Parts: sequence; C-alpha cells; structure tokens
Amino acid sequence: MKIGIPRALLYYYYHPLWKTFFEHLGCEVITSGKTTKDLIDKGIKASVPEICVPIKILNGHALELLESGVDYMFIPRMMSIRKGEFFCPKFMGLPDMVRYSLPGAKGKVLFPKISSLTDDISDEELYLDLAEALGVSHKQIKEALKEGRKVWKEFRDISKEGYTALEAINYVETGEKPEIETKDYIVTIGLMGYVYDIYDEFVSMGIVDRLREMGVRVLTFEMMDEDMLDRELDNMKKRLFWTFSNKLLAAGYRFLKDEIIDGIIHVTAFGCGPDSLIGKLMEIDSVEYGKPFMTIRVDEHTGENHLQTRIEAFIDMIYRKKVKALKEA
Amino acid sequence: MKVAFPYMGTTVIYKKLLELLGHDVIEPPEPTQRTIDLGVKYSPEFACFPLKVVLGSYIEAVEMGAETLITSGGHGPCRAGFYGETHKKILKNMGYDVDIIVFDDYKRDIVGTINKVLRVKNRKPWIVVWKAIKVVYAMAKALDRIEQRIEKMRAYEVNKGECTKAWETIKDLFDHVKNISDIEKAEMESNRLLDEIKLVDVPEKDRIRIGIVGEIYVVMEQSINLRIEETLGSLGAEVERSQYLSQWIDFNLKPGAAAKEHELSILKKGEKYIEEIIGGHAKQTVGHIVDYAERGFDGVVHLMPFACLPELVSQSIIPTISKEHNIPVITLSIDEQTGAANILTRLEAFMDLIRNIKRTKTA
Repeated sequence: MKIGIPRALLYYYYHPLWKTFFEHLGCEVITSGKTTKDLIDKGIKASVPEICVPIKILNGHALELLESGVDYMFIPRMMSIRKGEFFCPKFMGLPDMVRYSLPGAKGKVLFPKISSLTDDISDEELYLDLAEALGVSHKQIKEALKEGRKVWKEFRDISKEGYTALEAINYVETGEKPEIETKDYIVTIGLMGYVYDIYDEFVSMGIVDRLREMGVRVLTFEMMDEDMLDRELDNMKKRLFWTFSNKLLAAGYRFLKDEIIDGIIHVTAFGCGPDSLIGKLMEIDSVEYGKPFMTIRVDEHTGENHLQTRIEAFIDMIYRKKVKALKEA
Repeated sequence: MKVAFPYMGTTVIYKKLLELLGHDVIEPPEPTQRTIDLGVKYSPEFACFPLKVVLGSYIEAVEMGAETLITSGGHGPCRAGFYGETHKKILKNMGYDVDIIVFDDYKRDIVGTINKVLRVKNRKPWIVVWKAIKVVYAMAKALDRIEQRIEKMRAYEVNKGECTKAWETIKDLFDHVKNISDIEKAEMESNRLLDEIKLVDVPEKDRIRIGIVGEIYVVMEQSINLRIEETLGSLGAEVERSQYLSQWIDFNLKPGAAAKEHELSILKKGEKYIEEIIGGHAKQTVGHIVDYAERGFDGVVHLMPFACLPELVSQSIIPTISKEHNIPVITLSIDEQTGAANILTRLEAFMDLIRNIKRTKTA
C-alpha cells in the first residue's frame, strides 16, 4: 500500500516518526518532492486566496501526491501536544479543508486525531483508528510506533546538538552525519520561525545556509531543550494557545536574555495569524533589551534579492557594532 | 471607578449591567473611521480586524476618561482569546494608565476569576447582582426579539429608513429601564412603534430570506460590516443573523443543558464538514449554512475579518456545502481596506442571482 506524506507543515518535525511507522507496517511511503514554483502555483489555485502560504504549499504537495497515485495521504488532525494548548485552527481543520476543497481527495485522507500531552506523539491510542484502513492489527501498530519513537527521539537529540531539522532528518534517514565547520563565529543569530517556514527552501530561500555562508552561527527553537523553553514562559500571565507559537516566543525571550545571541531574525509567512501577535510582543520587548530584531515576511511573491539584501544589511550592522566593541574593550 | 467595554452590537445591554452594579459607565462611541484609524495605527499590521477596531474603541474610551476596561477573554485556539493580553501590552506601551479586566474561562484560573467578579461586583450585595443579571438577561432577550422583527420588516417598508430610525428610538427607550416591568413596557411600546410603520404587501412566494453567518464581531457590529443588514434590507431581503447576544449568553454563560440546545443542534449540523471545534465560530458557520438551507432560505452571506484563522477553514469548505445543499453563499472578508461600493455591487449581483433562481423555479 502506498502512503503519501506531504513535504509540508509538520513534515519537518515529525517525518522520521511517521515514515518509520508506516514502513514498519509494510507500507510504501512516498514523500512528495521539494516545493517548486509549479507545485506552489497548483496549491494557490486550489486554495482560498487569503490563506497563509504554508497551507497553500501543503495543498500543492497534496495534489502532487494524489497525481502520483497514492492509496492514502497522511494528513493528521493536529489538535494538541500540551495540556491546555492547541494548534493553529488551520491545523485542526486541515483534514476537513483538504477533504472538501481538493478535487479527488475525499476518501483518500488518513487523519487520526493527534491530541497528546507531550511533543512525543507516538502514543498508540492516537493511531489505532488507522488499523482498519491499513489492514493491520493493533499489536503491529504498537510495535511500529515503538520503532518510530526511537528514530524520532534520535532525530530530536541530533537537532539539539545544533543541527538544523533538515540535517537531522537526513541523518536519521540516511545515516550521513552532517558536516558543520567548527570555527569561531563572531556573530550568532537567533532565528525565530516555524520549521515549515525556515526549512522549506521555497519559503525562506535557504536562509540558514545563507547566514552560515556569511560566517554566522544560527540557533533555532528546535535546537533547544523543550523543558528549558517551557520555563521561559512562566512569567507570562496568559500563555498563547498555540504550542509551536509558544515555543517560538519562548525561544525569542531566551534569545533576548542570552548574551551569546547578537540579533534576532523572525521569519514569518504572509497571513500567519499567531505570528502577528508574537511579532508585536517581540517588537515591544526587544526594545527593552536593546537587541536588534528584524522581521522578514515572506510569501509566494518574495524575491531572493530582497531577502539577501536585508539579511546582509542586518548582519553587517551587527558585525560592525561587535567588532567596534571588541576593539574598544 | 469609571468603566468602559468593547463596542459590539446592542451596547445598551452591557451598559445597563454595569450601571445596575453602580459603576460610572463610559460608553465608547460607535466605531467610526477615526476609531478604525486609531486601531490600525497601533495594532500589529497582520492582526485580525476586530482586534484593531476594539483597540481603537478602547483608546477613545480612555480619552473620554475610562479607568478600567471590562471584556471577555477566550480559551482559543483562535486569536480572539488573546486580545486582552495584546491590548494590555499595546495600551501600556502607548503610555495609557488603564486597567483591563478580562473574564477568561473560569476553569483556567478560579481564584483570579473570583477576584475579578468581586471587583466588578463593586461591593453590592449579591441580591442586587442577581437582580441586575436578571434584568439584563430579560433585556437582551427582548431586544433580540425586536431586532429580529425589524430585520424582517426592513425589506418591505414603504418609506426607506423608518425601521432603522425606530430601532434607534427603541434602544434609547431601553436605556432607561430599571426593572423587569419597565422592560415589558418598553417592549410593548417598541412593538407599537413598529406597528405604525407602513409596509408593502409581498406574497409569500416572492419573499427573499437571507442568513448572515460568520465571525461574531463582524456579524454583530453593524458599524464595521457596512451595515449589511440595512443594505440587504433595502435590496429587499429579510435577514437573520447566526448570532444574537441572548443566544451567546444562553450557550456560554447560562447553566443547564436546555439553554444550550439550539447551539448544539447547529454544531451537530456542521459535524459532517468540520468535525472538531477549531476556535472562533467556524463550526457554527458551516452548521448555520446547513440549517438555513434546510429551512428554505434563499441565500447566505458569510462574513469574516480578513485572514481570520477559523473562518478561512470554513471558507475553504463552503463551495462544497453550497453545492451539496444547493444554496448560494457569498463570502465577504472585511478589514480597514474594504470599500463600500465593492461590497454593495457584489451584494446587488448576489440578489439578482437569487431573484433569477426564484424566477426559474416558479416558472
């Protein structure tokens, strides 16, 4: 049986788990290709105009999978991975949107409801509904999830060593250890952004690589420990409702306080609702801490040169300030 | 203490509650272009429209001397639940010394909620509070009954604008009520006022009924949705909204299962299309569209603030519902950029379409 996993949204956080899981059940996993202009155009045509770019991209990937003739697409209903918190409403209604708005998708979507208390979403209860469609027993599901969990944990551990999600996914799936030159970085940037924005090369245009080429060290939220991030928000009266937004904001506050970090770049997709609030909070707070903060808003029309110019200018500014401070010291 | 509240729908109701509790109430003016401009200037660019209007409305209230703002919170997962916190931060950053009391879901913070209730209670005896709540609830019910009557009448009035004028007078009447018997008198007086309005007699088969669904703020607040009810009325359609204040109270605040029945039946109808409550009113929206189709309405207007998270989900699904239930639906997304002429043209075209369908059906 062919199971399609779209290379979009939480692919960049849970793919190792889901891929291992389906492969252990004897399914052939087809992950859609990288986001291309063609693919995104298809996605745009199938989506309502106002919706955010990541969802348009997902629609493009889903259409590609349908064309390639998969038996099912795996688009889980992501509800919650922390008590009292949720995902963005679009994630919660995603299977409904896909089923009712993409032609030919009805009946081809597997959408278990993922409602968990931790980031680890490999609890068997969540996936038992799939048994019938896949023709497997509960015991098989349990065992496949055990394998998946192992690979996913490994993926997270590698991430926390300072590797990007793409490098970590590549490592657990192919065994190639990524190379990162260990050298003295002068500038370190805290990069705020959802995994599906930062690592989709079409959305962020490889911002991590661009920064590294400039000799900048990059830190992102998924390189940090979950519990440490969680404590960062303890002094907030009311936390946000969205777990990943909370992680982003926590990482943002951590970046503000951490002396290693010289500046913060927030990459956000046009029309992202949660980010509109996070951005404002960071904008107000970064002034208090006196740390450079820049927002890059991207959508399907963003030009590469625009992005390059802005990050170059931002890094130049920080670099000069820092070198000057070092000389004076 | 001088208190104010966010402006939404029939504000005499919130005003009355706070007045009965002995507060010095500052009623923010109905949102105007200035309100919107102020809100837009100080809000995050990509925040949703209601957040901007409410911020503008708060700023105007503070300018008028309000010291405390009272509002309801939310439990997400849509942005509306975080309005209170965002507003607090922005107002503080602007240098306004104002207190915001946000009533969240009490389960999140029981002690905090009790403290807030005590502050709003204003050292009045509980019996006074109980009476105030009863009066305000009766008032909400009465006003909603009258408004529903007006929404039907407006399509057929001989002299355009009479219903809207009467509605203003009626709201003023209710502003002066003090107890239940006053409310009964006011309702009788209101109905008498409405009886005097001359109507054109239109046979049942030619009547056009349109349901308005969508996000609560843009559905209820006429000053920012380009007075959609009046517009549709003047184009000759009876309208019914998916949201009325008294229904909101029934579902969210009134204890007991009976009060929730209506809303639950609507949610049930939406189940097929959106399985879970995903925040905002997305599931209600699809449920109401199905409900209007089943009740034989001729069309549905779907309103949402630009880039509203949950309503985008419903908007994606609406074409399928419209096809499966054979009911025309038009989606209008509203924000500070919305032009009146654009909306009017689209609504006129929508009405033409509905009339055409009706003609071919009867012919």
